[in-house]
Amino acid sequence: MPQHIKRLIGVFAIFIVLFLVMRQVLKPSSFGELGHFRAKAIYENTLRPMHYTIADSCTKCHKSIRADKDQGFHKKLKCEVCHGPGLKHSLFANQFKGKELPDSLILYKPGERKDCAICHQINAARIKILFDTINNTMIKQIDVAEHNPPDLKANEPAKCIDCHNPHQP
Amino acid sequence: MEEHLQNLYEVLSKVEGYVYPNEVELNWSILIVLYPYITGLVAGAFILASLERIFKIKILKPTYGLALLTAFSFMLVATMPLVSHLGKPMRAYEIMITPHSSSAMAIFGFVYLWYLMVVLFLEIWFDYRRDMIIWANESKGVKRFLYKMLSLWTTDISPKAVALDDRIGYIVTVIGIPSAFLLHGYVGFIFGSIKANPWWSTVLMPVIFLFSAMVSGIALVMLVYIVLTRIRKQVLDMDCLDTIAKYLFYILIIDFTLEGLDQIHRIYVAEESFEALHKLVFGKLFYSLFIYQGIFGTLVPLATLGTLQFYKPKAKIRRVIYTVLPVLVLMGIFFMRWNVVIGGQLFSKSFYGYTTFKTSLIGAEGYLMAITWLIIPFLILSFLLWLLPPWKKIETNHD
Repeated sequence: MPQHIKRLIGVFAIFIVLFLVMRQVLKPSSFGELGHFRAKAIYENTLRPMHYTIADSCTKCHKSIRADKDQGFHKKLKCEVCHGPGLKHSLFANQFKGKELPDSLILYKPGERKDCAICHQINAARIKILFDTINNTMIKQIDVAEHNPPDLKANEPAKCIDCHNPHQP
Repeated sequence: MEEHLQNLYEVLSKVEGYVYPNEVELNWSILIVLYPYITGLVAGAFILASLERIFKIKILKPTYGLALLTAFSFMLVATMPLVSHLGKPMRAYEIMITPHSSSAMAIFGFVYLWYLMVVLFLEIWFDYRRDMIIWANESKGVKRFLYKMLSLWTTDISPKAVALDDRIGYIVTVIGIPSAFLLHGYVGFIFGSIKANPWWSTVLMPVIFLFSAMVSGIALVMLVYIVLTRIRKQVLDMDCLDTIAKYLFYILIIDFTLEGLDQIHRIYVAEESFEALHKLVFGKLFYSLFIYQGIFGTLVPLATLGTLQFYKPKAKIRRVIYTVLPVLVLMGIFFMRWNVVIGGQLFSKSFYGYTTFKTSLIGAEGYLMAITWLIIPFLILSFLLWLLPPWKKIETNHD
């Protein structure tokens, strides 16, 4: 074999070996243990602070509301969808039974028109994607500006919850 | 609150109709336009070189070396727009370290490496090895060192060794043609396989990309050859330019036909996305698609090149035509990439609305960055032409 071909093969061999060495050095240590990702990424994610709790922890104290909700269209919604993350709230309530909650742990009570509009404002794209063909239900779409419009002259505009019980709409 | 309202106002001023929240901003910007553009120039320039080497079109000899060096210069930069588009560019190497076989982009890394190292590097190396050894003896200082290093400190320039170089170079070019098809077909495949986007999702995409790549690469080499010959105050080889123009014409016809077929098919089947796309094409893409890509980038060059096949004006006029046409073609193909990449993100998946593409002059994804990645290949090419001038090579007949 001519000298220059030998040297060329040598250069390519060095390149390939260097690549393989670099690969070993640079590959994260836990990569591939559980699949095509860093296994440690799961552990790292568990270190992130938690904010949400499980639905049953709300029921412990709010039994009647849960019972109401289970009868209505909102039965599949978790409490936290409307009231916000409640882990700290439920932990406190569990630990200090009967004690009054500090202000910072009181959860949001959505009651304004804008709160309901987040899901129920009519939206051309929404109807199509949220129509549930299995249960033959869909999220009611309301034109919030038109439906029982708030009387702006009066100081207290009509709220959705004046007529609809949010837990059993 | 004021700040939020201001942001909301800005967002809404970009949007028409209904778009999903994640569709307001374009994720793939001008740098992603450059990626298929530059890769296409590489593949096209290489195909032109292979016309001389494999298909024995000897009249193209003056552009053979130039085409290879042009392809190599652009290839070195081809991935840079992608890397600078990343939010974390320092992690770019991970695509090579832990590639997943189901990721088209990860496999592209290896297709790219194959093409750069096994095709372009080897072909240029075998083509220039003898000359580098001779030039090493004639030069001094850094240049001498560079030649010696690049020829791997070898000295064998016996006819037997040179014949072997030629033989291997030929085999590399034979492998190179399907590789060039693979390289650029792959870029088209990446877009064509995004099934969620009706503007991209067509099986014709790789083929369209491939032929538009050839068109742009041939136009680029044509332009570089003319400019370089003018700078060197040499006489242009008009027969060579006529032949390049002829091939440019043929491939432009195929490219135009394929793109026309794609659009006609889209119009005929008129799927649910059709109305949204129709509005897009006659609205936000009107200038870039019909005027820049269609008329100036395709129809004018097609008509001119077509006329030249029947009627040959004087060499002086042809020289002007051959200088202007590649610029038009290169612009046309740039806007073709633009229309694909940017156009595909301007409409909402809901088919009810559109967004607007805005980018700034400066910044990581601005126009200046894009221009930089277009200028750097020319700087690399200038360096390569200084180091490995094709016109100083000893004539080798690639027979």
